[in-house]
This record gives sequence, C-alpha cells and structure tokens, in this order.
Amino acid sequence: MREGIVIALAAIGGFFSLTGAVGMLRMPDVYCRIQCSSMTITMGALPLLVALVVGEGPVSSYGSRALLVAALLLIVNPAASHALARAAYKTGVPMWPGAVADQVRDQVAAEAQSEAQ
Amino acid sequence: MTGVYEAVAIGEVVIAALLLIRLASGPTVSDRIVALNTISTQAALAVLFFAAFARRTIYLDVALWLASFSYLGAIVWSRYLERGLL
Repeated sequence: MREGIVIALAAIGGFFSLTGAVGMLRMPDVYCRIQCSSMTITMGALPLLVALVVGEGPVSSYGSRALLVAALLLIVNPAASHALARAAYKTGVPMWPGAVADQVRDQVAAEAQSEAQ
Repeated sequence: MTGVYEAVAIGEVVIAALLLIRLASGPTVSDRIVALNTISTQAALAVLFFAAFARRTIYLDVALWLASFSYLGAIVWSRYLERGLL
C-alpha cells in the first residue's frame, strides 16, 4: 500500500519534471520558459518530495529533510521566478511574436497619454 | 522502495542533462539563468534521492544546501541584470 503510493507520487513527479524539461527546450521565449520552470518545481519536485516523506515517514532524517526542502522550494521559487521575469522584461528580452498581451506596455502607454492631456 | 529512489535519482539526472541543452543554447542570458535555476533544483532532488537510496545521511545536508543557496544565485543574477554591478 505505502509502496504503491510512493510509486504513484514518483510517477507523477517524474512525468511533470520530464514535461517541464521538454517545455524548456521547446517553448519560444523566456517568459514561457519561466512558466515551465516553475511548473517543474510545483508539480514535479513537490510530489517527489512527498513521495520521499511517505516512503520514509515524516520524522525520519530523510523525510524531515525532504519536508524542509519542500517548504524552502515553496517559499523561494515564486520569488526567484518573479525576479527573473522582471529582470528579463526590464532588460528588454523580446517576447514571442505571437504573444497577444503585454499589459505593462499598455499601462505605460495609457499613463503617458493621460499625462499628455 | 530503494529501487524507486534509484529510478527517481537517475531520472532527475537525465532531466538535468536535457536542461543543459537549453543552458548551452539559450539565446539570452535570462534563458541561461532560468535553465541553471531549474538544473540546481533537479540536482538537489537527485542528491536527496541518492541519499535515500544509498542510506547515507551525510548527503542530505548537501541537498539542503543546494536547494537553499541556488535561489540566492538566481536572485543575485536578476538584480545584476536589472541594475548593473552595484
């Protein structure tokens, strides 16, 4: 029973990690790749860590370290992804030509227009 | 159970090797940083599962260190890209 849960969680995590890696290779621009990267963490790394916790028990040294790493990833990964996306946008990394929305550009244009009036 | 851990560790290394392609060929610096960030997380997971497979508790601290300090690198890199060296 416990081994079945571990295998299922490991399969979910491995599948999502693999699709995230394929997405990193195939996505057209850096913003889509950031989305794939955080998907790899939230849906790929966390089930794997939960699998380790279920397999070893939460109070064993392996399970407790896995819980620590999971909490750390949950806290820090959104901050790092946000900082990377912001830095990429500010340094002018071009978007994919097929992108349909750039709300920051629209808002800056609207503010400039309202100041001109 | 250790077979599962071994398979996961090997799979993570394979995924990190796939991401190395993006690290080498990324057209901009931001692509490379994103790829490096993901690789370090996968490396931390691989070390963690190798520790559970080989029953060596000493490697757990390596994984914890990797997971906690790789993001510092990503944040410092993005700050450098945004504002320059200072």
